[in-house]
Amino acid sequence: MDKIKLAQQVAWIAAGFALVLAILLIINYVQTSFNDPIENQTIPALVKRLSENPGDEALKAEIRAFDLMARKAYFTSQWQLRTGTYLMFLGVIISILAVRFVLSAKSKLNEIDSVEKVSELDKLVAQKWVIYVGSVLIVLALAAGLLSSNSLEKYMVNENLVVQEEQPAEIAVAENAEPAVAPEDSSVTTVDVQVAEIPVTTDVPVTNIETVAAPAPAGIPTLAQLKANYPFFRGAEGIGVAAQKNTPTDWNGAGGKNVIWKVKVPKSGYSSPIIWGNQLFVTGADAQVRMVYCYDKNTGKLLWEASADNIQGSPASAPKVTADTGLAAPTMATDGRAVFAIFGTGDVIALDMSGKRLWARNLGVPDNHYGHSSSLIIYKDKLLIQYDTNRSGKLLALATQTGATVWETVRASKVSWSSPILVNTGSRMELILTTNPNVNSYNPETGKELWNIACLSGEVGPSAGYADGMVFAANEYAKLVGIKIGATTEIVWEADEYLPEVSSPLAVNGLLYIATTYGVFTCLDAKTGEKHWEQEYGDAFYSSPIYADGKVYITDMSGKTHIVKATKDYQLIGTPELGEKSVCSPVFADGKVYLRGMNNLYCLGAK
Amino acid sequence: MRLIKRYFLLVSILLYMAVQSFAADPQQRFPKPEFDTGYIQPDTKAPSARMIFLEYFDVLVLLVVLSLVTWFVLKKRSRKGVFWISVFTLLYFGFYREGCICSIGAIQNVVLGIVDPTYAIPLTALLFFLIPLVFTLFFGRTFCAGACPLGAIQDIVVLKPIELPKWIQKVLGLIPYLYLGLSVLYVATKSEFIICRYDPFVGLFRFDAPFNMLILGALFLAVGVFVARPYCRFFCPYGVLLGWMSKFSSKHMTITPSACIQCKLCANSCPFGAIDEPVVETGKRRSNVNRLMTYFVLLPLWVGIGGFAGSMMHVPLSRFNQTVYLAEQIVEHPEVKNDPKNIDVRTFMGSGKSTEQLVVEADAIRNQFYWGGWLLGGFMGLVIGTSLIGLSKFRKREDWEPNRTNCLSCARCMDYCPVKKE
Repeated sequence: MDKIKLAQQVAWIAAGFALVLAILLIINYVQTSFNDPIENQTIPALVKRLSENPGDEALKAEIRAFDLMARKAYFTSQWQLRTGTYLMFLGVIISILAVRFVLSAKSKLNEIDSVEKVSELDKLVAQKWVIYVGSVLIVLALAAGLLSSNSLEKYMVNENLVVQEEQPAEIAVAENAEPAVAPEDSSVTTVDVQVAEIPVTTDVPVTNIETVAAPAPAGIPTLAQLKANYPFFRGAEGIGVAAQKNTPTDWNGAGGKNVIWKVKVPKSGYSSPIIWGNQLFVTGADAQVRMVYCYDKNTGKLLWEASADNIQGSPASAPKVTADTGLAAPTMATDGRAVFAIFGTGDVIALDMSGKRLWARNLGVPDNHYGHSSSLIIYKDKLLIQYDTNRSGKLLALATQTGATVWETVRASKVSWSSPILVNTGSRMELILTTNPNVNSYNPETGKELWNIACLSGEVGPSAGYADGMVFAANEYAKLVGIKIGATTEIVWEADEYLPEVSSPLAVNGLLYIATTYGVFTCLDAKTGEKHWEQEYGDAFYSSPIYADGKVYITDMSGKTHIVKATKDYQLIGTPELGEKSVCSPVFADGKVYLRGMNNLYCLGAK
Repeated sequence: MRLIKRYFLLVSILLYMAVQSFAADPQQRFPKPEFDTGYIQPDTKAPSARMIFLEYFDVLVLLVVLSLVTWFVLKKRSRKGVFWISVFTLLYFGFYREGCICSIGAIQNVVLGIVDPTYAIPLTALLFFLIPLVFTLFFGRTFCAGACPLGAIQDIVVLKPIELPKWIQKVLGLIPYLYLGLSVLYVATKSEFIICRYDPFVGLFRFDAPFNMLILGALFLAVGVFVARPYCRFFCPYGVLLGWMSKFSSKHMTITPSACIQCKLCANSCPFGAIDEPVVETGKRRSNVNRLMTYFVLLPLWVGIGGFAGSMMHVPLSRFNQTVYLAEQIVEHPEVKNDPKNIDVRTFMGSGKSTEQLVVEADAIRNQFYWGGWLLGGFMGLVIGTSLIGLSKFRKREDWEPNRTNCLSCARCMDYCPVKKE
């Protein structure tokens, strides 16, 4: 009998012990959940402070100490949980065994606590309940089915529409070679139409492109003409080298210093301006409309605006894009005869210099989770479009006059946000594209791939840089490479200290400039990749550096333009401020710089 | 004193097994420092596969255990023998083998082997699935009695059992069919092994599981003190198959070793409510027959409506499939593509697959769920319809007999029978 009492006491004590531990474990668990070291915001805050002041050794020590403390706390908590669990189980086991011992020792058959039973009645009640529960299950299933929406089916329906829209557009154009001319242009609002004259300046240095390339058909601008204007993203070749001279270095957008004009662009967009003659073009868009704006570059007067609407195949609702890309991220292109724009909807529009629509078509809504941002470039009479989406990668050449597809090259690429560059390598013209994983070169005449090198990874935003037979490509979390092209194409150097995420490399004068999203601007030796200097400006760079008149201009996201001499020694010329945030690259013409901020477009220079 | 020694021995063995389990702690996860510390992170090592002969050894152990339990139940009629075998099962298949491999989960391997020609089902998994079924077909559910670690851990905590009213037993008894249907559906659509994922006891066997699962296991055990073996009776999908086999078992255990003397001593001995009482027909025969005929007529209706309701559930049901879930996430919230913390989305983005491809793939899976929903719903309708028929059928019974479908062959009732073997 004593043994039974003892066992009963053991059972109670062990059960109580297990219960206390269970409560403690739950408290510990809740505590740990609320203080998850992985979600702790202190270390990221300290790390951010460190990034502002990388040399702060005391701060580094503080971070290390805090990190160590967080780890110790975490592992101690883990140890407590583990040990507590073992002890709790021990308590439970002892308690159960003690109870079983009591039951065995009493040698009593363990009858269950029975309920009163009436067999037939019980069966009838059970039948009722089975019917009730079965019915409730069916009603619940029907309700759940009716209330749940099948978003995939809706997406499929939308996608099918897109596919149907996309294919006829291309097939019709390709087969009939008919221009995809839009109906009589009702959307062009002529403000004060001025057809620009194409200035042909003779004092611009002319490279040997004319001697290499085939004679341009009538009306197709020469490189000299292109360089005299500012027809593409990052200049006449798309490599960030501007031919303009006497570029300004001092302005203040907020204070009005050297602000020749400033206008608010009606719709927002991150496309940089392009210039031909006296006309300056930008795009803007929102979920409802896609617009092309033409300004007088000398006065800032809005000459005309045109809406990219009523385009066959254009989606009824704009695709979802992120706020920092928007629907008007790609920069336009012009050949002096017409201007071309592409939007995040996949709409491409061609307008003559007076804003009259020449043609428009939709390339299929780009499946791009940030939004399409590859800018346009023109080779002779072909509008070249890098169209790398999540669905497929392709390079398109559309006839500038008709919009018909001249050729289309399917690319083994992932989605990208970079833009093509068009360079004369001395022996041929090459259209060079960056994407994940390749840097590709194509014949711009035929679309045939000339070479490719797999060297990039991730989400590629920066376009290629080019100078003196070398191509430069980079992406954050990947690497920076210098590729020598010629008889054989090969990577001659690699670096990974400073990598851009959005901004494109600029190569000029044997120097290579890289601007990063963590605010570092660096200059390397283009031939070797050796670093000449680095400057941490603090604000991120989304815009690309542009060379003009012996200087390199790079605008950070706060709107400050850092102007340095294009030399291997760091020589800061000035840091004029726009007075508003900017992600666009500076554009040059006639001794002036044109900069687009988040809201306004500025013409800056000596008045 | 002998009894105390025996329990001391059991505690020692349990502690030893537990310590063995602790040695296999999972690797702690903690982000690496953001700065260079000079510490070289060791390579992540995957545990090597279990040696093949040990896997066959497990099959051998299962065979031996099953044979011994069956022997104890049918020949020795010894509850003690069954209990100690189940303790061994708990230690070996539970704590030592950490609940894997198990016959319950093997259902999924078998289904996958049937639907996916590229999947070669491991022979051991097939044997673990088949051997208990074959034993049950001949000897009743002796597997449940002492060869299943999930049953064993619950059986040990049956300390103060109460009897549940019949209607509750019947209603809760529908759950294992639903669970079986769902587990087959999710395997057939290559979505998930839900039996393993939601095994409430595997976390206890391994001393490692998400907190919620540990709580679930502890709850099952806590409830199991009063409601005997709740998982076995009201959740176990393998129990459904075993029940079907056991119904036709040729040598099922009996409460009494010879003729029942109608002493009723065993009436309240079964904690699982698996003893059928003697029955004499009551009420009006005509109304009983009419009810039975109505249930027969309504059976196709239950199947049809159930199938339709199941098919309607295909959208919510398919959300447990990872591909469907990912596609819905990306379609409904495209901003997740920018979320660096969303590993699934990052992996998808890195795969080079387009959203459209993913959606088409997910839609095809959802279509499988549509037809699977018809089958699952139809099956549940059939289960409900046949339950009703079973409840309205009359079969004359003169003795106290174990219900062959539900009896777990634990041998408790034998101790209550005063009749001894002739």
